[in-house]
Amino acid sequence: MDREKIRDSLISAAGMPKDVLRGASVLTVLGSFEICIENFRGITEYTEELVRIRTKEGQIRITGKKMTVEYYTDTEMKITGEIHAIEFSDGRKGN
Amino acid sequence: MIHRFIRFLRGYVRIGVGGYSPERFLNMCSYHNIYIWGLMPVKNGYEMYIMLKDFRKIRPFAKKTKTRIKIVKRTGFPFLLYRYRRRKLFFIGILICVIMLNVYSMFIWDIHFEGNEKWTDETLLEFLDSVDVSPFMLRSSVDCPSIVKNIRKEYNDIVWVSASVDGSCLNIHIKENDDTLHQDISVSGEKQPCDLIASKDGVITKIITRSGVPQVHAGDAVKKGQILVSGRIEVLDDTGEVTGYQYTESDADIYADTEMEYNDSMKRLHEEKIYDGNPQYRPFLRIGNWSVSSGGIRESTQGVEISSSERQVKIGENFYLPFSYGVRIFRNCHFDNAKYSNTELQKILSGNFKRFCEKIKENGVQIRDNSVKIHLYENSAEASGILYLNEKITEKADTEIITIERKESDESVGTDD
Repeated sequence: MDREKIRDSLISAAGMPKDVLRGASVLTVLGSFEICIENFRGITEYTEELVRIRTKEGQIRITGKKMTVEYYTDTEMKITGEIHAIEFSDGRKGN
Repeated sequence: MIHRFIRFLRGYVRIGVGGYSPERFLNMCSYHNIYIWGLMPVKNGYEMYIMLKDFRKIRPFAKKTKTRIKIVKRTGFPFLLYRYRRRKLFFIGILICVIMLNVYSMFIWDIHFEGNEKWTDETLLEFLDSVDVSPFMLRSSVDCPSIVKNIRKEYNDIVWVSASVDGSCLNIHIKENDDTLHQDISVSGEKQPCDLIASKDGVITKIITRSGVPQVHAGDAVKKGQILVSGRIEVLDDTGEVTGYQYTESDADIYADTEMEYNDSMKRLHEEKIYDGNPQYRPFLRIGNWSVSSGGIRESTQGVEISSSERQVKIGENFYLPFSYGVRIFRNCHFDNAKYSNTELQKILSGNFKRFCEKIKENGVQIRDNSVKIHLYENSAEASGILYLNEKITEKADTEIITIERKESDESVGTDD
């Protein structure tokens, strides 16, 4: 716990991007119809109503309607459709 | 847009992935940098687009993840090519098109001149033709520096030339020397001694001598053939005796008041052309010496007036093709005797006189006065009188060469010391 705190304070003191150092996911949400996700590990589940994405820190659940994956690459994916909710949960618990 | 075009060019497929764990298959694809788009969940798995070259790589992943892959749709140029593989003529057409484009671009199709005022395009084109530079020559055989050199060598008053090949057009930029534009360019090597003589009778009004010895003054009356400026200059010794002559080409502007008779007559009776009916237009096409014309002509017993205008087909500015087209206009006509009225005669004669005056004015002659009158007779009319002019009356004539026999005892000649 202490080690993580020290690391966080070091990162913020150095002014370095957290997504790079901590491997955090970057979500860019455009209105409620488009979401762009970077820094993820893979898709766990994908239907038109639910997309589950595995990240380093856990899992992201996106619920909505008529969702499609516009593109899917190693670094980035884009989901379009009617987005209702974005949830973050611990991967082990969620699974 | 450009992405879509590239995708189309390379070819892509829509595949359906089904089986035990299609998500794992997706993750493996992304892990191996395979671009996936348009991912949609379907009944038993997913459907997605994938590039054709990537499709060849995914077989092992499918095996590993125990999924089944099915091609749903094929799109793109490689598939188009495959589908139309039997249409040989289509591909031959494309091939011929490419070859022809390539071949056509090997030639110069047009020569464009810029900056020329004195020398016309036609003259320059003719000259270039004489040094084997013409439209439809090979682009590779165009030697711009030698074209420039040739033009500079041939035309003294072109001071700067630049030649460049732009696509299949040869551009030639020219700068002419404006100073020499209005001067005579007859450059004679050696000057011939000559006199200036009067070409007409008259009274001198002005004389400006540049070289030679003037023999007349302003106000003198001169006869035709009289020497006005002599090209022979006397060389005198100390005693005032003529010891020899120097010869020069006389040059002077000499103006004199002269007279000129004007006479113009015409008959009252004349033939008049009368057209019958409407003109008939016959377009035609000419290829070499062979021509095709549309429609026939209703020949009249009297006569037909034919006028024709023709235009040669050309590519660009100067590359003429051996085709021409145009229109011939046929008008049936006949002649009838008619009489001019007095006013018509006056109009024609005064028009003729006016044109005559303008013509002589163009030659630098000044008309001081005239006593031309129109006389009308029963069967004819006449305009006659005298024009009073002021004009240049010089004419070149060879100088008489006089040799003086020198006394042998004369010491002063040749040496002075």
